[in-house]
Amino acid sequence: MAGFLVKRFLQAIFVVIAITLLVSFAIRLTGDPAVTMFQGGGSMTEDDLARIRAALGTDKPFFVQYFDFLKGIITLDFGRSFVGGTQVSTLIGNAVPATLMLAFVSMAISIVLSIPLGIMAATSRGKGLDQAIRIFSLIGLSFPNFWLATMLVLLFSITLGLLPPSGMGGIQSYIMPGATMAIILTATNVRLVRTTMLDTLQSQYVMVARAKGLSETTVLYKHALRNCAIPLVTYFGLQFGSLLGGIVVIERVFNWPGLGTLAFDAVGARDYPVLQAVITVLSLLIVGINLLVDIAYGLIDPRIRTE
Amino acid sequence: MRIMKRGLLTAFVALAMTGTAFTTAAHAEGKLTLSSSQDPGSWDPIDTFLVAWAAVSTNIFEGLTYRGPDMELVPALAESWEELDEGKRIRFKLRQNVSFHNGEPFNAEAVKYTFDRLLGEEGAKGPQRSNYVAIESVEVIDDYTVDMKLSTPDPVLLTKLAGYGAMIVPPKYIEEKGEDFFNLNPVGTGPFKFVSYEPKVGIKLEAFQDYWGGAPKLSELDYRFITEPATAVAELQAGRVDIVIPPIIPIGMIPVIESDPNLEVVSVPGPTVDSLRFNTREGITADPKVRKAIIMAVDRKTIVDSILAGQGAEIATFQSALSFGHDEELAPLPYDPEAAKKLLEEAGVEPGASLQIDIRGNDATMNEVAQVVASYLQMVGLNATIKPYETNVLLNDIIPQGKTGAMFQQKWGGWTFDYDNTAYSMYHSGEKWNPYEKDDTLDKLLESQRPLTDRAERERILKEIGAYVADRALELPLYNTNAIYGVSKRVKNFIAPPDNRLKLTDVTVE
Repeated sequence: MAGFLVKRFLQAIFVVIAITLLVSFAIRLTGDPAVTMFQGGGSMTEDDLARIRAALGTDKPFFVQYFDFLKGIITLDFGRSFVGGTQVSTLIGNAVPATLMLAFVSMAISIVLSIPLGIMAATSRGKGLDQAIRIFSLIGLSFPNFWLATMLVLLFSITLGLLPPSGMGGIQSYIMPGATMAIILTATNVRLVRTTMLDTLQSQYVMVARAKGLSETTVLYKHALRNCAIPLVTYFGLQFGSLLGGIVVIERVFNWPGLGTLAFDAVGARDYPVLQAVITVLSLLIVGINLLVDIAYGLIDPRIRTE
Repeated sequence: MRIMKRGLLTAFVALAMTGTAFTTAAHAEGKLTLSSSQDPGSWDPIDTFLVAWAAVSTNIFEGLTYRGPDMELVPALAESWEELDEGKRIRFKLRQNVSFHNGEPFNAEAVKYTFDRLLGEEGAKGPQRSNYVAIESVEVIDDYTVDMKLSTPDPVLLTKLAGYGAMIVPPKYIEEKGEDFFNLNPVGTGPFKFVSYEPKVGIKLEAFQDYWGGAPKLSELDYRFITEPATAVAELQAGRVDIVIPPIIPIGMIPVIESDPNLEVVSVPGPTVDSLRFNTREGITADPKVRKAIIMAVDRKTIVDSILAGQGAEIATFQSALSFGHDEELAPLPYDPEAAKKLLEEAGVEPGASLQIDIRGNDATMNEVAQVVASYLQMVGLNATIKPYETNVLLNDIIPQGKTGAMFQQKWGGWTFDYDNTAYSMYHSGEKWNPYEKDDTLDKLLESQRPLTDRAERERILKEIGAYVADRALELPLYNTNAIYGVSKRVKNFIAPPDNRLKLTDVTVE
């Protein structure tokens, strides 16, 4: 286990370096934050720009800036935002819980919905219920999430006046953004659960379990579902990565103060320190989730634990 | 992103008609909630040029002078001033019995501290300093008299003292608490004082009871940062936001707001102007005849009436009608496609010649306008292709490096409403925004008006610059857009400022 963790840790470092190097380099090709700062401010001289660049530290060579940033990761000091000079760690510290809460709520809703629905579809294969679930999941897949979000806002906030249209607050504020993400995730997950379940239901041990006279619920949830768990957990874990990507759009529509909003604003303002920090945190999160998935395998399937 | 915005917009317009509006204002009495499109990140006056900063800070801070929605410059923290030494020294008599929100007294020392800080090391880290470099030093004459010594006369200085970097800050507070603390916990002399700030979420203010002009009528201001237009409008419709501060409401969403009985659109001419400038150095647009032909080929009035839905005005020069230097008499070149064709023929441009128009990809209005421009050009035999860029790339790289197509979008809006701010940056040789033009006559004109304190003479020269640029057809002037506010009808006495600097002293809510 220790060897495995060390390997994973080294992998994480490599991933973070590769990603941040690419992002840091690429963002610097697309514009000068000093010029951006002068927008609307009348004429600016080269001296003015040089002064600002020196204050921001963007006058230093790229690799010096990059190593400063790497040093910062180790000391957890990501520097200051170019917009206003707030400590980046403060911004990240506020944004990470907001994004994670939303992501977990979405994942939880989706898992709670997709497992029973998927099993129902599998057990009624080819029948009306199966068809209905498949059609709904296809519709769910075809929705662009921002469109769905807008429709929910129109219905629940403007027409019915039940839920706040945006912002992060009490439980109410999680309903629409969580549901928007969850509907789209569920659409894929139902199909996955259905297919995996169909495979499993055809296996011999399910036949044996049925032959023993076990109730259908026990067969499905105790025997079959456990054996489906490995591919499902792997997929849910991987999905978390793309979920964090998709959340950028949802955060913007619902004005959610998370990593997506932070990244979006940072790209617009060429706020290098914030962008680099967001990317680092996101890649660490994804690597971390994958690690959790691997550990979860052992918990689910004793055969892997003993190996 | 562009597609997303369009999607949102269409969905909104289509469905808002069917939706019955919901309204129960969940507000405490005397509390006004506003949406602002950006978080400036710091509330220190010298850190930023963002209008989103001013939309909040005009209530927290004050300058020596003040310019309200009527655009008149009036006394604020200075009761009066006089010019001495032929405009190279301005003597300010300061208002007495004024205190900062923390109880610190306002006096000559505070004024000196403010400008020493702006022009010193701290100011050097921010963009605001370059606006005030005409100030050589500030001298304290007595407790309530200060002299501002200028290296050269600056005719726009008194206006510039009314906003942004010239806001008076509390010396003791900053020295004791430090710069970082001040960024996040601003203290000024204005009608509202700071309560709390949550990055990316919002800022809250409350009434300052000891305000020298009398306590404001509202008890609380709650600004929320909302970047997505559809979201801001949804919050307004749901009654959770009372005022949506521009620039955010797209023209396409105006009907949504207007159809709601509890809301109204308040729209005023703003400082923002758009034009399509020409590459005057290379290609067919190097020829002034071709440039004039292109201008005459495009019906700008129709563009303003249809695409802008009247939320703007045609312009002849690159400035708003409110701007100092605007010339009522100067009319834009007429729309005359026949004359345009003739000019193109004279210039030897073959029918079917192609040119490229560079625009900001996320500017929904300009995307439509550019398409209309392209079809007008088609009618006189020019094939225009539109190239959308990400805004920063266009501003930082394509324009300054002179890598544009034959035409490129320039959007501008200086809060000082002085043509010098625009014209100097656009037309003086060597300026960042002027990659192509080198014109001695124009340079001399631009330089000659800068130190003039004689308003009439300066205005005459500015008008001459406008006429010269129009005659040389350096750009296709398009329009001056309105600042569009979405306002709940529970808000009373709100006068929309053209420059986003909302001072909410007299506003009340029902």
